[in-house]
Amino acid sequence: MSKRIDLTSEYQYRELQSRTRRHFIKQCTTGLGGIALGSLLGCGRSNPTNTQADIEAFVRKQVPHFAPSAKRIIYLHMAGAPSQLELFDYKPELAKLDGKDCPQSLLEGKKFAFIQGVPKMLGPQAEFSPRGNSGMMVSDNLPHFSTIVDDVSLIKTMHTDQFNHAPAQLLLQTGSPRLGRPSMGSWVTYGLGSENEDLPGFMVLVSGGNTPDAGKSVWGSGFLPSVYQGVQCRSEGDPVLYVSNPSGIDGNLRKQTIDAINQINEKEYKEFGDPETLTRISQYEMAYRMQTSVPEVMDIKDEPEYIHEMYGTEPGKTSFANNCLLARRLIEKGVRFVQLFDWGWDMHGVQEREALDTGLPIKCKPIDKAMTALVKDLKQRGLLDDTLVVWGGEFGRTPMQENRGGKEWPFKGRDHHTEAFPVWMAGGGVKGGFTLGETDEIGYYGIQDKVHVHDLQATILHLMGMDHEKFTYFAQGRDFRLTDVSGKVVSKVIA
Amino acid sequence: MISKKNVLIVLSSAFVLGLLWWIVRVVPLENKHQYIPQVMLGERIDFNRDIRPIINNKCIACHGGVKRSGGFSLLFEEEALEVNESGERAIVPGNVKKSELIQRITHRNPEYRMPLEEEPLSDEEVALFSRWINQGAQWEDHWAYKAPEKPDVPNTDEGWAKNEIDHFIKAKLEEKQLSPNPISDKQSLLRRLSLDITGLPPSLKEMQDFLNDNSDNAYEKAVDSLLASPAYGERWAAMWMDLARYADSKGYEADRPREIWKYRDWLINAFNANIPYDQFVMDQLAGDLKPDAIDQDFIATAFHRNTMNNDEGGTDNEEFRVAAVLDRVNATWTVLQGTTMECVQCHSHPYDPIRHEDYYRSMAFFNQSADADVPSESPVLISYKEEDDLEKLAQIKNWANEHGEEGRKGKYYTQLLRLGVPKLYAHYFYQMDKGLPIQGTATFKVNEKVYAFTKGLSFEGEDRLVFKTRTNGDEGKITFRLDSINGTEIGAWKVKARFKKEFNEEENKEVTYYLNEVITLPIKPIIGKHDLYLVWEGKDEVEQTSTFEWLMLHHALPGGDKENYPEIEQAMYSLFNSEKEKETTPVMVDLPANHQRISRVFEKGSWMVPGDEVIVGVPEIWNPFDKYEENRMGLAQWMFSEENPLTARVMVNRIWEQFFGRGIVSSLEDFGSQGFAPTHPELLDWLAIKFMEDLKWDMKKLMKAIVMSATYRQSSHYTQEAKEKDPLNEWLARGPRLRLNAEQVRDQSLAVSGLLSKKMLGKSVMPEQPEGIWQVVYSGTKWETSKGDDKYRRALYTFWRRTSPYPSIISFDAPSREFCLPKRIATNTPLQALVTLNDPVYLDAAVALGRRVLKNEAADVDKQLSLLYSYAMIRGISEEKLEDLKDVYHQTETYFENSPEEICKLTGEEDKALAVFTVMANVVMNLDEFLMKS
Repeated sequence: MSKRIDLTSEYQYRELQSRTRRHFIKQCTTGLGGIALGSLLGCGRSNPTNTQADIEAFVRKQVPHFAPSAKRIIYLHMAGAPSQLELFDYKPELAKLDGKDCPQSLLEGKKFAFIQGVPKMLGPQAEFSPRGNSGMMVSDNLPHFSTIVDDVSLIKTMHTDQFNHAPAQLLLQTGSPRLGRPSMGSWVTYGLGSENEDLPGFMVLVSGGNTPDAGKSVWGSGFLPSVYQGVQCRSEGDPVLYVSNPSGIDGNLRKQTIDAINQINEKEYKEFGDPETLTRISQYEMAYRMQTSVPEVMDIKDEPEYIHEMYGTEPGKTSFANNCLLARRLIEKGVRFVQLFDWGWDMHGVQEREALDTGLPIKCKPIDKAMTALVKDLKQRGLLDDTLVVWGGEFGRTPMQENRGGKEWPFKGRDHHTEAFPVWMAGGGVKGGFTLGETDEIGYYGIQDKVHVHDLQATILHLMGMDHEKFTYFAQGRDFRLTDVSGKVVSKVIA
Repeated sequence: MISKKNVLIVLSSAFVLGLLWWIVRVVPLENKHQYIPQVMLGERIDFNRDIRPIINNKCIACHGGVKRSGGFSLLFEEEALEVNESGERAIVPGNVKKSELIQRITHRNPEYRMPLEEEPLSDEEVALFSRWINQGAQWEDHWAYKAPEKPDVPNTDEGWAKNEIDHFIKAKLEEKQLSPNPISDKQSLLRRLSLDITGLPPSLKEMQDFLNDNSDNAYEKAVDSLLASPAYGERWAAMWMDLARYADSKGYEADRPREIWKYRDWLINAFNANIPYDQFVMDQLAGDLKPDAIDQDFIATAFHRNTMNNDEGGTDNEEFRVAAVLDRVNATWTVLQGTTMECVQCHSHPYDPIRHEDYYRSMAFFNQSADADVPSESPVLISYKEEDDLEKLAQIKNWANEHGEEGRKGKYYTQLLRLGVPKLYAHYFYQMDKGLPIQGTATFKVNEKVYAFTKGLSFEGEDRLVFKTRTNGDEGKITFRLDSINGTEIGAWKVKARFKKEFNEEENKEVTYYLNEVITLPIKPIIGKHDLYLVWEGKDEVEQTSTFEWLMLHHALPGGDKENYPEIEQAMYSLFNSEKEKETTPVMVDLPANHQRISRVFEKGSWMVPGDEVIVGVPEIWNPFDKYEENRMGLAQWMFSEENPLTARVMVNRIWEQFFGRGIVSSLEDFGSQGFAPTHPELLDWLAIKFMEDLKWDMKKLMKAIVMSATYRQSSHYTQEAKEKDPLNEWLARGPRLRLNAEQVRDQSLAVSGLLSKKMLGKSVMPEQPEGIWQVVYSGTKWETSKGDDKYRRALYTFWRRTSPYPSIISFDAPSREFCLPKRIATNTPLQALVTLNDPVYLDAAVALGRRVLKNEAADVDKQLSLLYSYAMIRGISEEKLEDLKDVYHQTETYFENSPEEICKLTGEEDKALAVFTVMANVVMNLDEFLMKS
């Protein structure tokens, strides 16, 4: 094995010397420097001759900029945008306006996805009560969540620029409504790397039957090297694409073949001396480890019964509940960023599934249970302190009832709404039992402590120890950042 | 003894010299560089070498295109010399004392010292600035903005060099005290060459022929034959497809399929026909504007129709039309001029002398194309396929040629049918609903309660109005009126529904489906600008709505008095409504003059805030745009002017990068002052001029010159010396050793296993892909694995869906093609290992390669394993590696002996040898040497 040790040290030396990008390996030891080096140099800044000193100076300027309060993130994205007026934003005044024509002042100069002409106001389709010690108002649609409000910061006044799903999801997850920018998870893993040698740093789990409207771009790496893109875990077939051996080849034989490949590659290295060959040797070893570690972490069968009971999980199924439990397991293994998407919140009222009075409670039931279990489970394992959980959609919904095609629909639905929507966060250094911001009496506009999606991104990066204005990547002729050219840290939610 | 006189002379001379020195330094004499000899002003300062880097690193962030702190900017010479807000001039050429810049960078008070709140400039940097100002503060354009001049070829040792390229390389190597590697062994060389030129490994026969050919020009013969191979066009088209952001889907939410494969085929054919680069680019930018444009010219312009199209309900078509136009600006400058225009969308370029309005002058070139982010992607070039349709088209053409007046002969009518420009789309109309004007989206409606109108439509005496509509009843008529709902009626359409009745299984009854119809209506010819109103008239309380997708004005077919006229009109109607098979390709077509858009600057880059009107133009720093037509064709011709500094440099650099893995300018996308400086500036210019002048933009000849060089033919071994001095191979003391790109990884495995289909061109195919990859919302599109040979086509024919690209291709760093990608970054990840180890496509290839080995009656395992390796690597295996393979061979054999039930699982056959050799093939096809070209 001594030969292998030589190779490894040479490999590390080469990491500091060369510009080839890679990731995963040895991030615990070479840490951030290795990653930043790995990915920055090829597209490096102005300097025609990147000297070692420049590189070091650059790395020193990189993240973390200060001590983080969160080491990991679980982001629960409710794709389609849940209605705040039936979940978190209690508006008794709106009930009084139910069925009345919407005032012109709310319509002029506005764009809606489907509302045409003059719609009618729609009162809240759920009952609300104060919950926990903090008295946070939460609807009856979320009975489980109501028990953890004292661990949660609720922002009621999120707002966005985009009123269609795909651009709004992109704006939220990548900082830009257009395709082509790196996602939040890519930025974070690019900055902080993974804490696990056997798993990718950024993993994605999808439920609800569809990928989000904006497709896989919401976990794409944009102009960052492709190693930073989210790796989608699947609940059917291979948990990670091609992680299983072909049938007929077992783990032992795979080990033997990878050993043979690497032995021959070492000879190739001796002959050509190309450091890339050494990287390949390491990556094949990592691939082999992933073949064991990924199915292991994805297999929830062995979780105790009370855990299944708590989350509402059923092994072998695709569900948000399973994904929540998987998120916890991945976090435990040191995955940096776990992104969940759950599709099916776009309740226009065009069919019964989309009715706020009947469809929404059904949709909420398993979600409420699982997301609550996730927070409780993280807490009981002592993980909540440095794991940030974020929940929310890409925008909110109108206080008016949707009248698609200028007609009245049999089911009660709401159209897309950019001006006010909720996001809640728990753990990772945010306050518990805290509500930020207030909306007007019908929940149309935020009137106090408005938070733009770029502000949310700035805050998330801040909690991870990164200054969103300094955390940049040079591409296409300029420095890019997650928050584009705006964003302010919402310090009020930070504990 | 020293005489007093001597002392006096020495002292007085010293005094005079000192005085002179003092005058030079202190006397506030402006432009003193004109009066004082060079020797006293010090060694000549080179602005680009000495000053620009300091400005770009230390000053320009606050004094450039984005910020102009204190009113001072260093972006343009004239700005730098202006009087600033303080009333001082930062730079007074020839006078350090008067130059506020020097005062401020040397100020003792940190509150005044520049750069603010940063480390002060070093003494050397201050000295460089002072000397530069003393010498007259000569400004120089960035190297890349000056046209290349042909440099002399350096004279180096004749022994090594094979052509001029090598002299440039050798000169640098000598300077860096590096020595080149010897020529590579023949096997490695032919494999490298073949993969580089055709994207495929050589066949065994090609290798044998090459090895057996001992003639002096054996290598050249191989080069020529590979360049002539049809696979060449496929390999280089794949490269260009990243730049063109080619995809088989539209992007955005539903990401529906787009039919644009004819453009991919155009690329393949263009490369294979070796059309010169100037023609190649002109066709893609402006083929539609050629005087006698044929179909292929239109299809070439699909280059810029690869922009995304947003079909999501409720999106603003104009917003996404503008996004597509901006993408065309960015792609044009990135791909063809190596210039990063993106930042100029919002403000002047922070580093390069490009003004904010220049971006919109560029945009004006692309702003007249008729596309408008509508779901049909119109304008598309329709190619009718059915005999019947083709016959009708020919009839119409002949008819109009015979009877039509000049300008309205056959071409006018065939283009009306096949391109249909300019259409008035639904979103140009407002439907007046309960007193609120609501903008149309994919359609607009007219009914008893709702009328519709569009503003400022330009009429030129057209006597026909054609529109696509769908109505659910036959009541009343829709009148077309000018300027108000009661205005002059220019035509009326008696509403008539087109429908079909079909039995619906779910509802268990016959259901009526209302259908779209394209209707041509005679109208009163008028001239001038008018608002057009569509108003329904008929009896009250009618539940009936007509929805419209588009309208178009045109001139009726000529020869109305001829006997067969109704027949020819009917032919036109039936082509407009033909539902027979046809092929379509989105193309660029400009709006006619009376429909053209006004282009404006967008304040801070936002299309919602239009500013001053602009006309087409290019940044001043480039060659002038004064003798060209003010359209895309003019822009294309301007790029190929001899004075254009970038076109040739950018392309030779791109091709160079394809062979060496690194450009002479390594930032392929940015030749500006923030890009990398060229490692071999003279070579770059020499190649650029050779490409333009000697080779007349012949791409194959350029490639041939590169691969014929000794530089390219070197072995790719790392020497200890090179490892230390040149880890990145910037100076090319060794040949390139690079990982195959995504397409090549797949194609090679299929090729060596014998599975690769030789079929070229045509619709994109769907090779095997795991279940559940395509889960895109609101889109019924399914991945349906292609049958037969189509499973094993070259990677560039794989259906490319932007939001969900083919997984193994993406793993190997291909982009999703949402935007143009000037350079792929090669990564090396475990996910790639999982693809080549476990992807069923690669397993298929392993089975096939195993079978190929077993077909030969090789005497023993040694021979079989050697053969396997030779099939894959097109060379013999070394003793050492063979030993390793034998070890794992025996392990595998033991495994299948102990677990015979696994044999069939792996290959589907009860054949142990096949199972063992499948595993062996899988090993070989995962070797570093297989995935790399050495």
